[in-house]
Amino acid sequence: MATTAVTAEQHAATAQHHHEPGFIRTYVFSTDHKMIAKQFLLASLFFLLVGGLLAAGIRWQLGFPGQPMPLIGGLFSDTTAPGGIILPEFYNALVTMHGTFMIFFAIMPLLVGVWGNYLIPLQIGAPDMAFPRLNMASFWISVPAGVIMLAGFFVQGGHAGAGWTAYAPLSSEPEYSGVYMGQILWLISLTILGFSSLAGAVNYITTVINMRAPGMTWFRLPLPVWALFVTSWLVLLAIPILTGGLIMLLFDQTIGTGFFSAATDGEPLLWQHVFWYFGHPEVYILILPAMGLVSEVIANRSRKPIFGYHAMVLAIIAIAFLGWVVWGHHMFQSGMNPLLGTTFMITTIIIAVPSAIKVFNWLGTLWRGDLHFDVPMLNALSFVSMFVIGGLSGIFMASAPVDIFIHDTYYIVAHIHYVLFGGSLFGIFAAITYWFPKMFGRIFSPVLGKVHFWLTFVSYNLVFFPMHTIGLRGHMRRIYDPNQYEFLQPLQPINTFITIAAFVLIATQLIFAFAFFWSMYKGEKAPRNPWKANTLEWTAAPTPPPHLNFPGGAPVVYRGPYEYSWPGSTDDFLPQDLPPDRVSRTPIPSEPSPMSTGD
Amino acid sequence: MTTDVQHSGHAEGEIHEAPYMLIFGALIVLTLAEVGYAFLSLPKFWLALGLIVMAFWKATLVALYYMHLRFEPKRLWVLALSPLPLVVILIVAVLTEF
Amino acid sequence: MTTDASTLRSMMIPDPAYEPGMKVYTMKLGMWVFLLSEVMFFTSLIGSYVILRFAHPDHFAAPGVVLNVPLTAFNTFFLICSSVTMVKAFAAIQQGDDTGLKLWLLATILIGSLFVGIQAVEYYILYHEGFVPAAADYHAAGRQGMEGGPIVGGPLYGATFYTMTGFHGAHVTIGVICLTFVLIRALRGAYTQNDHRGVELIGLYWHFVDLVWIILFTIVYLI
Repeated sequence: MATTAVTAEQHAATAQHHHEPGFIRTYVFSTDHKMIAKQFLLASLFFLLVGGLLAAGIRWQLGFPGQPMPLIGGLFSDTTAPGGIILPEFYNALVTMHGTFMIFFAIMPLLVGVWGNYLIPLQIGAPDMAFPRLNMASFWISVPAGVIMLAGFFVQGGHAGAGWTAYAPLSSEPEYSGVYMGQILWLISLTILGFSSLAGAVNYITTVINMRAPGMTWFRLPLPVWALFVTSWLVLLAIPILTGGLIMLLFDQTIGTGFFSAATDGEPLLWQHVFWYFGHPEVYILILPAMGLVSEVIANRSRKPIFGYHAMVLAIIAIAFLGWVVWGHHMFQSGMNPLLGTTFMITTIIIAVPSAIKVFNWLGTLWRGDLHFDVPMLNALSFVSMFVIGGLSGIFMASAPVDIFIHDTYYIVAHIHYVLFGGSLFGIFAAITYWFPKMFGRIFSPVLGKVHFWLTFVSYNLVFFPMHTIGLRGHMRRIYDPNQYEFLQPLQPINTFITIAAFVLIATQLIFAFAFFWSMYKGEKAPRNPWKANTLEWTAAPTPPPHLNFPGGAPVVYRGPYEYSWPGSTDDFLPQDLPPDRVSRTPIPSEPSPMSTGD
Repeated sequence: MTTDVQHSGHAEGEIHEAPYMLIFGALIVLTLAEVGYAFLSLPKFWLALGLIVMAFWKATLVALYYMHLRFEPKRLWVLALSPLPLVVILIVAVLTEF
Repeated sequence: MTTDASTLRSMMIPDPAYEPGMKVYTMKLGMWVFLLSEVMFFTSLIGSYVILRFAHPDHFAAPGVVLNVPLTAFNTFFLICSSVTMVKAFAAIQQGDDTGLKLWLLATILIGSLFVGIQAVEYYILYHEGFVPAAADYHAAGRQGMEGGPIVGGPLYGATFYTMTGFHGAHVTIGVICLTFVLIRALRGAYTQNDHRGVELIGLYWHFVDLVWIILFTIVYLI
């Protein structure tokens, strides 16, 4: 306690370390990557809730078409749902905004914004991001974007109704969709959000390249960092393409430029190409980080080195690269040049190879491991199995002749939800529960976590698996009332069943919200390294980590991140920053190993 | 190509005698050549090809000397060139559609 | 067993010569990474132009018919000059020449502003010749001043022209604003021979904008 004795000069030199920022700088305009991650976490969980409620509206209309919504039905205006009966225009807005909020405001920030911010500096041994103020801007730019997007519900004409893909000319000609202001707000909001993503991506890439701790070579990086690094490249290079497209669409709407308007010789198909040239890398932005997070959980909870670390890394890079040359598989129905269509079909099927490498490596990690079925592990295993189902239906669609049959049906809806909910969201649940002790210093309630997991897992499958069936029987993807077609009327009971299961699924998420806040304040205090993990955030930083993360200076890294159950060591884990001379060793047994007894 | 000025590692603090005015002259000459070439009565293909070659030449000069890529580590070259394949993929693939 | 061998190998003490990263300082790396995203942004605009032009060649006119090539050639000359003054400013501070830095920066700002001003004049003239971005109002009759004459090109010409050059002009404007901040900092003596990162960063951005204009001038005005 000799702080008063230090000279002013010394104090100035160490001011950065002893500086205690005020409330605003700690919780609101914070430049600390951990606080920004928590801000992203709360904001995007809020938007996850918004997206879920919009989905409830969609399901109500499909399950009980033309009936007034119970309880909340009276709250709606006459232009959206008079007396609680959803109008077709409002239904379009529900479908559009469910997709938009979930993809851009929930899953993407939950993966890239939260875990990119939280894990990258901690796992590479850096005190903070390369550009902390840019990092703060990244969050605070996304806030007005979210507000503008929410405001669209309250403007005249309702919110954008052209789907989250905003296909022109439906999105570019107000008289086609009846929406003018809503679509403009949608475009402005996503343009602003692009800057937020861009600021994040520049930060992550620069930080990973230039700020790794001594000894943290490329192939000692934990897999979440690899996944987030590669994802950041996709964000960096794909988002500007979308921004350019959004701006052209905005000009079409506001000053009538006619880029995408066939009436003035523009090309509606050009929008689809621009959108999907961004859109397919975006798909991998939404899954690659979850793959990295799940790899960490699976290796740790199996107490085994990840199977094929280098193959995992190369598979991430291969998926990211192939993601740039497959966008046309979203457009097989557009009447594209058959040569181009075939090219896209082949490249898409090739993506199955690195994806399968990852799946088999996860299975190889689990094989004969010391499995701990706690909450993160259950969610991670669910990620793997659901991703396999979604991935296999993806191979069906990659084949153009099959896709032409199932395009724009509920089969596609089932596929995207198997990879995006079953994949990404279970990965997010795994990550939240795994790193919860590090973030908040308390264990995520195991009981509530398991209740939430099992209810979610069951109801989720009851919601989305039947969608394969109704999709194959021709149920259109964004249709307001399928009963207008006689051949879809027999599917009404299945639709009602899906809706009931969906309400269970949504209600189950309230358990998660409760468990989240309960554990934050009342949960069991977490020890420093509750999972006996090797990576730096557990071994070198206190829990929760202070400002600038590593009080003793940057840790030195001696080995890879997944050295579990190493034969020569007493403990079953070897921290990345444990010097080799301090590894406590047990004598290696001298009897011959079973492998060599055969001869 | 002289390679003795490369391998500098840390660029700061070292002064590279980059021929700034020479590059400036080359850019002006190429611009004038472009304007003159554009008004020749050649087939459209040869006009476009010649102009694009000259434009890329100019762009390369700016990147190499004014943006100092010539004096940067090779790994920054890789980084700087990384989006170019994506640019080509987008334009070439979509062009086959029209 | 091989796992033991690989584990042992991975447990070796880090190589003392190991140096993480790109061997350039972090801010410069960040600027380069940001510029890559700018490449993709202009790709979406320029790529759309190329594709629309291939799809509808009748919407576009031969060089010099609608657009004012001599005026823009002068403007190109000015932008290239500003690149030289920018790089001269950098070279000056590299040699510790503080006065040279300020003067060359001021020259860059002035020439950059001149570029934006000439572009505004060009827009004004073109707009009054009927070369407008809105598809419904497009009635460009070419530069011979034939009011009411036959319409040259089509609405896609105006739309793509204003979008591409407009966003480039916006980048130049942002560059001028940032250069002004750099000049203010330079006047306060923020840059020295040893640390002049701000000058190098704004230089990278400025040359990139120049580079984009080199491409735009060729494919919009000359082809």
